[in-house]
Amino acid sequence: MQAKSLALFLALILAAGALQFHYDTRVEYFADRPAFVTLPDGDTLRILSFGYRNLAADILFIWAVQFYSATHLTNRFDYVEHIFNVITDLNPRFKAPYLVGSWIMGLEGKRFRMAIRLLEKGARNNPEEWIFEYDAGFYAHRELKDVDLAEKLFKRAAARPNAPQLIRRKWAHMVYMQDNLEYAYQLWKELERTATDQLARDSAFHHLYQIDFERDRLRVERAVRAFRKRFGRHPAELEELVRRGILTAVPRDYQSREYIYDPRTGTITARRDYKWKSSY
Amino acid sequence: MAAIEIRGLEKSYPSTFGTRRIPVLRGIDLSVEAGEIYGFLGPNGAGKTTTIKCILGLLTPDKGEIRLLGRESGSLESRKRLGFLPENPYFYEYLSIRELFDFTGRLFNMAPARRRARVDEVVHLVGLEGRENTKLGKCSKGMIQRAGLGQALVHDPEVLILDEPFSGLDPVGRKELRDLVLSLKQAGRTIFFSSHILQDMELMVDRVAIILGGRISREGHLDELVSRTVRYYELVFEGLDEKAAAGIGLDVIRRGERMIARVETLEEINQKIRAVHGASGRVVAMTPLKLTLEDIFMEEVAR
Amino acid sequence: MRLMAIARNTFREAVRHKVFYLLIFFGMFFAFSSRFVSMLSVGDHKKVLMDVGLAAIHFFSVLVAIFTGINLVYKEIEKKTIYNILSKPITRGEFVLGKFTGLALTLLAALGSMAVMFFLFLFVTTGSFEPRCLVFFALLYIELLVITSLSLVFSSFSTPILSSIFTITIYLVGSVLWTFQEFKTRLHEPFSRYLATGLYYLLPNLDKFNIKNEIVLQTPLPAARVLAAAAYGLVYVAALLTLAVVIFRRRELK
Repeated sequence: MQAKSLALFLALILAAGALQFHYDTRVEYFADRPAFVTLPDGDTLRILSFGYRNLAADILFIWAVQFYSATHLTNRFDYVEHIFNVITDLNPRFKAPYLVGSWIMGLEGKRFRMAIRLLEKGARNNPEEWIFEYDAGFYAHRELKDVDLAEKLFKRAAARPNAPQLIRRKWAHMVYMQDNLEYAYQLWKELERTATDQLARDSAFHHLYQIDFERDRLRVERAVRAFRKRFGRHPAELEELVRRGILTAVPRDYQSREYIYDPRTGTITARRDYKWKSSY
Repeated sequence: MAAIEIRGLEKSYPSTFGTRRIPVLRGIDLSVEAGEIYGFLGPNGAGKTTTIKCILGLLTPDKGEIRLLGRESGSLESRKRLGFLPENPYFYEYLSIRELFDFTGRLFNMAPARRRARVDEVVHLVGLEGRENTKLGKCSKGMIQRAGLGQALVHDPEVLILDEPFSGLDPVGRKELRDLVLSLKQAGRTIFFSSHILQDMELMVDRVAIILGGRISREGHLDELVSRTVRYYELVFEGLDEKAAAGIGLDVIRRGERMIARVETLEEINQKIRAVHGASGRVVAMTPLKLTLEDIFMEEVAR
Repeated sequence: MRLMAIARNTFREAVRHKVFYLLIFFGMFFAFSSRFVSMLSVGDHKKVLMDVGLAAIHFFSVLVAIFTGINLVYKEIEKKTIYNILSKPITRGEFVLGKFTGLALTLLAALGSMAVMFFLFLFVTTGSFEPRCLVFFALLYIELLVITSLSLVFSSFSTPILSSIFTITIYLVGSVLWTFQEFKTRLHEPFSRYLATGLYYLLPNLDKFNIKNEIVLQTPLPAARVLAAAAYGLVYVAALLTLAVVIFRRRELK
């Protein structure tokens, strides 16, 4: 009697499994569901999770990681910001979601402003971390080509506790890219002074060289324009500018070597030229 | 054919952590003839209720065989012919007595007309006329006991199993129950019941079994068990106080103005009567007493 | 016949339980409070009304299913009424199925009244009638049957507290089990993959009954899908009931 009933149970469970399988082949859970219309916001979920919000954040995060790796679903980014906002609202000190979320948004979803927003939130909630603004700065610089935003972000990152020197260098580079040459020079001078390894020293050197060159180039161009106004032509050589009293001395590069002056264009070129701005 | 037949019944329960087994029934043999009233006697924990649950199929025996009217216990067939009154019966509190009887009738697949008629009959039989619409949750213990008896009788069973049927009944109720059981016996039914109230049992049973420590300690017809000759005599007298009584070698219990003493033999009785008279006392009564069921029981327990 | 006797009895008992009415009351209270919630939202009041209303009914009916189911069997054992019943010529199977039928009828009554109140409420506040909600209620009823049979399985061998914990746990797991569908294909180790796949098919997938979104957002709902969900639910219920009977048959009633 029991044996028959057990057999019946097994048969029914298998039938249920088969029906489930059949159902799955017909219904695409992820693709055509406006599934997250009903995922409440973080504050509501915090209340609903009855004190288990860290656990809720964990579960949601794990789920999100699985979900976003289902690369065949093309509409999966529709709610990515909402989801990661919920996760980070539930547990603002849980750091992985900010980073992973920003990778998903940015590198996969190509939504870099969204990624930066998430990273900035991470920095707000975790002021002792420099990584969030550092990553954000990268996106701003590389992807958005927004030097001003990048400069702001790197500056903030560099100010965080234990921020490595390299962030300061990135920041200084941004300042340079903003064409704020005087300030950039100051920063790089300081970086040169405080450099602890050869890489840092080299980096400072290259930057200082370039900034020095650009400043000199500007000066020369201004001087050449003044010369041209007066004499209607470009000077034949830099010494002419000095002779005519427009410049006090012939500018030399950071290594105290001569620039190469081209009288046809009226501008100087240096022995080295770091084409940071043009590759931009 | 025996109404109930039990052979070699053994049952044990697992201990709290399931490691050992605690034996409760260590081999029960008994047999209840059709049409007799059979009493089942034993102290608490001896295994009375366990035996009854095995008869009803609520528990599965570890070893042994139980047959009810020739059919295996626990089978649907056997249960159809059985009426059961549990100890401390619990019924659905929200049902009225009448509704309980009706529900029970349905469980026996009784036809509606017969069911309705029978419910009325049973209400009358157990003396609950006028109160049959009270919700069981609001009934007194005595009413519940009667209701319990009623639901055991609704389908007119051949065999009745009653677990402590007298508990909760006042003396009037007890007499009514005795009369009912006896009339059922007249009608050819078999009644098997367990009880602590030995006096009532003594007045009703044909045969009796004493269960102790999971085994049947003694079984037999009541007449046989108590049919010893006179065990002792009870002497009731007055006019002497305890000291005087002790003086003539009597161990007495005072009851008001009178003294009661127990005397073993007939020879001694005459001697003591003379002694009482000699001490200026008056004999009021002399009663020969046989063994009561209680005596037998206490004897078994002492062994 | 005997089964129906038990069923009627169970129904009567459940319906006299105060908790039953309390839960229905709360269900309706929250459903009605959706009126005020909808005032806070901009635009589509009706959508919010329906959303909150259906969610409240869902939540509370699930609670009714879990707690009535568990209590009913345990109370029988605790109050010893079960000894009396099982001494009658009724099989253990009939008893369990009778209890289930009684509970199913109770749930029908509960859900039915909540549904009627919902439709009335919707009509009174928005003047409209949404027949699609009937589909939701139908699938919700099947979901409740699954939960009830689950609680019956557990209460056939364990105490009410444990039974409630088990039932609630499996209910929660069953609600999010759909996420396993993708997840299980990503596991590397074959053992974990088999385990996850096994669990995915063994445990109840409850999400298919949750068509609130489709109802509220008016997205298309093919009949085949609803029927597949219903079939799954009913087969699963049958499986659980069989299991409950198997377990209950072995139970010793000390």
